[in-house]
Amino acid sequence: METFAAVFDVIYQLFDNIGFLILAASGLVIIFGMMGVINMAHGELMMIGAYITAFSYHAGIPAPIAIIFAGIGAGLVGMILERLVIRHFYKQLLSSLVVTWGLSLLLSQGFLIIFGPSILNVPTPFGNFPIGEQTFGIYRLVLFAVAIAMVASVWAIFTYTKFGTRARATMEDPDMANALGVNTGNIYALTFGLGCAMGGIAGGMFALTATISPFFGINYTPLAFITVVTGGSANAISGLISSALSLAGIQTGINNLVNVYIGYVAMIGAAFVILLILPKGISEYIERRKIRVRKVTNK
Amino acid sequence: MVLKVNHLSSGYGNVKIVNDVSLEVNTKEIIALIGRNGVGKTTLMKSLIGHIKSSSGKIYLHDIDITKLSPAKRAALGIGYVPQGRGIFTRLSVLDNLRMGENVGGNPRSTNFERVFQFFPILKERGSQKAGSLSGGEQQQLSIGRVLVGNPELILLDEPSEGVQPNIVQTIGEIIRRLRDEEGLTVLIVEQNLDLIGAVADHCVVMDKGSIVTQLATKDLNNPDVARKYLAI
Ligand SMILES: Nc1ncnc2c1ncn2[C@@H]1O[C@H](COP(=O)(O)OP(=O)(O)OP(=O)(O)O)[C@@H](O)[C@H]1O
Ligand SMILES: [Mg+2]
Repeated sequence: METFAAVFDVIYQLFDNIGFLILAASGLVIIFGMMGVINMAHGELMMIGAYITAFSYHAGIPAPIAIIFAGIGAGLVGMILERLVIRHFYKQLLSSLVVTWGLSLLLSQGFLIIFGPSILNVPTPFGNFPIGEQTFGIYRLVLFAVAIAMVASVWAIFTYTKFGTRARATMEDPDMANALGVNTGNIYALTFGLGCAMGGIAGGMFALTATISPFFGINYTPLAFITVVTGGSANAISGLISSALSLAGIQTGINNLVNVYIGYVAMIGAAFVILLILPKGISEYIERRKIRVRKVTNK
Repeated sequence: MVLKVNHLSSGYGNVKIVNDVSLEVNTKEIIALIGRNGVGKTTLMKSLIGHIKSSSGKIYLHDIDITKLSPAKRAALGIGYVPQGRGIFTRLSVLDNLRMGENVGGNPRSTNFERVFQFFPILKERGSQKAGSLSGGEQQQLSIGRVLVGNPELILLDEPSEGVQPNIVQTIGEIIRRLRDEEGLTVLIVEQNLDLIGAVADHCVVMDKGSIVTQLATKDLNNPDVARKYLAI
């Protein structure tokens, strides 16, 4: 029982860490991985999601519905930001970085002024279950499940829907898509909005575990970027999954061998090493392998 | 008349490339736009689909003034654009590339994949393959097939023979004629390949330094001196 509990503990941590990275990155994988926009304000959209969730919850709305509201709200804010600001800075990496950084400051300072330094938190639901001497929170497993469901939906939307086909085409060659009758402006706004909606949902999910403040986003933006960049954009979804698996794996391993802080540092170090070896991210390597395998089997 | 261009000028930034071009393409005509490298043929095609703004002049599709419309609106009105370099979405499957053409002609419900497969059977075979893995000739067929999925009336073809092996060029030529004869399409084609021009064009419009300098009967290009003067050969 003792060893079982210890093993379970490690697996639980691994799931928790994977879920955290995927959830934090699930919106950014669209916005940066697919659209190529360095959105430094992504964490602030998650923050907006957290606020919407908290306000709705305290107004008596059940948490799951409050989180859906968070997605819708953040998605709408995202579409407005895209039309007003972001769209002027596509393909301008540095400008978009500066501009979205500015947006992130505006949003967090704005929330600070309007709502003060903190608001009433939302309790974590579902309670705990014991294994041996230890207890484990059920909600962490729910986070993991939702993270998987979110990447699966992003993948399905971009693979199987008409919107998804048009969005992928537009990201590859907007002029050509436009010349074939696609309103690419709408596609950009919807895609960006979808990424923000995912961020809003993630923010809402995290709102049930964390302190909600105007600077909530800072906890997520860096890790979201590290995960998405390590995954690469050759295939943003498989990249996200493989980078979350490897980074969380290393973090969990070192965490248990040494301690939490070294585990965290090791994860970031691992991201650096992966990017040194594979500058375009893990997914580029996977795609290359696939093509090679296909060529060999074709012969 | 399907397409009418009136004193059109356009270019990149302050650099004027297309200079006072007037041109007419009648229903079910196949007109070849020829001229040496860099004279502005592609720039004119880009102005016609709307990728670059015209600084002066007018473009009419039938009687509709499309000079200020977005490329998407021009496509919806029935212009099928097959650009130089083919404009394939390399990361999409062949089928998804074809689906992207359904807005051409503005009636996405009337899409016709079977018609496309009848002209280009290879596209059916390769349906689920990534378009980037197709050969040059197959990509060219995909680019033409893609606009045919919709309902174009006028097809703008920019150097379909470029980087395509000769037997496929011949197939493409036959298909262009059939599109006109069987489907009643109108075609403006930019070409440098004498065989292809000879096989499809009703007559030729010659461009030099951004302007239309003369018109030729297709058979005039049989004279090597004429051909050498107006084409990059
Ligand atoms: N994006 C661009 N920006 C600035 N100048 C350009 C651009 N594209 C083309 N040009 C210039 O415009 C001129 C005409 O180019 P264009 O591509 O229209 O020629 P073309 O007749 O289609 O040539 P080719 O037969 O080689 O395709 C050239 O001098 C070219 O250098
Ligand atoms: Mg050209």
